[in-house]
Amino acid sequence: MTTTAHVTVPAGPPPPAPPRAGRPRRADLGERTIPYLLLAPAVITMLVLLGWPAVQVVAISFRRLDLGELVRGEIVWIGLDNYRAALSDPEVWTVVLRTVVFTACVVAATVLVAGLLAILLRHLAPGVRVAVQTFLVLAWATPIVAATTVFQWIFDQQYGILNKTLVKLGFDGFAGYSWFSSGPSTLTVIGLMIVWQAVPFVCFTIYAGLLTAPRELYEAAAMDGASPWQAFTTVSWPSIRPLVMLATFLSVIWDFKVFAQVWAFRQGGPDGESTTLPVLLYLKGIASRHFGLASAIAVLMILVLLVLTARYLQLLLRSKEGDL
Amino acid sequence: MKRWTKVMTGAAAIALATAGCAGSGGTDSGGDAAAGEDRTLTVWLMDGSAPETLTDALHEEFEQANDGVTVKYEIQPWNGIQDKLTTALASQNPPDVIELGNTQAPAFAAEGVLTDLSGDVDALHGDQWLDSLKASGEWDGKQFSTPFYAANREIIYRTDMFEQAGIAAPPTSREEWLDAITKLEAKFGSDPQFQSLYLPGQNWYALLSFIWDEGGDIATKDGTNFSAALTTPEAKAGLEFYKQLVDASGTTAPKDNDEQNPVQAGIFGQGKVAMMIGLPWEVATATEDAPDLKDKISGFPIPSKNAGETAPVFQGGSNLAIPVNSANADLAKDYLKLLLSEKYQTMLAEAGMVPGASTDLSPLEADPVSKAMAEAAKNGRSVPATPAWATIEAGQNPLKDMLTAYLTGAKSLDQATADANTALDEAFSSGA
Repeated sequence: MTTTAHVTVPAGPPPPAPPRAGRPRRADLGERTIPYLLLAPAVITMLVLLGWPAVQVVAISFRRLDLGELVRGEIVWIGLDNYRAALSDPEVWTVVLRTVVFTACVVAATVLVAGLLAILLRHLAPGVRVAVQTFLVLAWATPIVAATTVFQWIFDQQYGILNKTLVKLGFDGFAGYSWFSSGPSTLTVIGLMIVWQAVPFVCFTIYAGLLTAPRELYEAAAMDGASPWQAFTTVSWPSIRPLVMLATFLSVIWDFKVFAQVWAFRQGGPDGESTTLPVLLYLKGIASRHFGLASAIAVLMILVLLVLTARYLQLLLRSKEGDL
Repeated sequence: MKRWTKVMTGAAAIALATAGCAGSGGTDSGGDAAAGEDRTLTVWLMDGSAPETLTDALHEEFEQANDGVTVKYEIQPWNGIQDKLTTALASQNPPDVIELGNTQAPAFAAEGVLTDLSGDVDALHGDQWLDSLKASGEWDGKQFSTPFYAANREIIYRTDMFEQAGIAAPPTSREEWLDAITKLEAKFGSDPQFQSLYLPGQNWYALLSFIWDEGGDIATKDGTNFSAALTTPEAKAGLEFYKQLVDASGTTAPKDNDEQNPVQAGIFGQGKVAMMIGLPWEVATATEDAPDLKDKISGFPIPSKNAGETAPVFQGGSNLAIPVNSANADLAKDYLKLLLSEKYQTMLAEAGMVPGASTDLSPLEADPVSKAMAEAAKNGRSVPATPAWATIEAGQNPLKDMLTAYLTGAKSLDQATADANTALDEAFSSGA
């Protein structure tokens, strides 16, 4: 769901602006409205498909909308009751904190591993590089359902290949070891899988950035006696910085709202210890058929995300032409 | 895997349902079409519920008896059904007859989206109804859904292994059951892969049996309010017996997962397991890759602590209901009357299910595994008929967490039961 979304990443400078009309003149009404008319279908589609559901979520969060109201088509406004119900539960704060920490760890690991892989790709011989890239694409293309099933098998208590391998290697304590006996352990396994799924996209993004740094710059740096670290900080980093920012930002959004993988392993267990915000939303809202409460938690999630990504949004709004 | 594909489709369905409904005004009950006019009765039954021979005969008879009526029969998959029903019930044109999982039924009844059938119980052969399913269909003293069919767990065992271990007859008391485990372990225990009883840590259906057998229950009912009763000595004794079984058999099944993960029938089919607690049709799964086991499998009811009796069992199954928005409620009632009649209930029993509206279980006796289910069926019970139960099953079941915590030693018996009691009470209060 999250890791397979496609985002086009500009790899080079923006295309030059079209040449202005040679002779300045007052455009007539038709000519001035044409651009807006041409934009209209896209804008309207976006408003209907993206804007309207978002407005609905916020509106529903102020309503009591259980199955009965839904079937009878009643609209019952209850003000902030849903928010009160969501926030008065002490569990919510634990879950928010857990989700934030989980997201931070997963994003950091993703970007770090992907960055190192991207640099490795830059230094590999073409044949090996193509092989590594192929494996990355395969990992990326694996459907979430399939990948999750495979990971569940790997970590299975009795029949998992991981425990069997560890025992073969002499770690007898892992015979019948349960990787899902505690929340942190469960979340680590889930995080590992999410990182595995997310690395290819981020890696290719950063690799694309690395390619924009001309070889001559590295040669020049080498001639000036720069260490590899200096070459990285002065030549590579400036060219990949905007892309690392972008990848981090997107990863935060994706990993924060990841549901399928977390749910699939232990439904937020054991004892609710791997419950993240999206799981909480499903349990409290959808499974219990309190759609108003579900919407309220969804709005809270958006707020937390806004706080987490505030810095990036600030940069995005301040910068011109996406130049970060 | 199934569970979260269900969740994905469910989430999409809910999004659509909520978006589609936000703008709609009051309900439009439609009103029954005049008699004689062509009418269509939409019936939703679940995948694997009624055999095709039954529905074919039923629909032919029904259409002949009702002039101008066509039955639109749609088979629904279990995956995501709760959310699909939510969407369908909210529409202006819902199906006229629906099948509900018996643990989901109270959730729909409590929301007032089902037609009250209290006045029709007798006409719908109420005297023949299975108690546990009747209870599932009740809410606030009214009957909102009728029984359809049920199934309950039993102990499925290998006759050849029992014979070799010198066990003359299937156990009829807990003591004999534990004794059989000891004998099996003595005979086959040298094989490290052998398991006398495959019992994963989260088979809460089995736990329910043990708790009920002790005379306890998981919750007590007061009107429409339920309160958890897991801290009672009876409930604790049931949990202790569960642990006794796990310890005696030395089962290597995961303590933190249920009988579906991994699928226990598959493990049974590998031929190294002498007993498992399961449903009759799990035998088919077990023998899929091992057809030679077919003649070596039989079943016996879960024995009670009182010798000679069978332990009460959880009955899973389905109820039938008429959505409140149905435009053909009268016709739907006639349909239910026919489906719940002796003829079709017997056909259900012949297909290997406990019929919901027939006390005659003799058709089940032809097969030894089904026979064991029928024997225990007289003592069938259900989970608390509260809307909260659908939520508990969809999500984090405190009974499962309790079992895992106690069996792994993460919590003491008192701590595990107290925590689960609190969690269950919380679910009861928020789900309603």
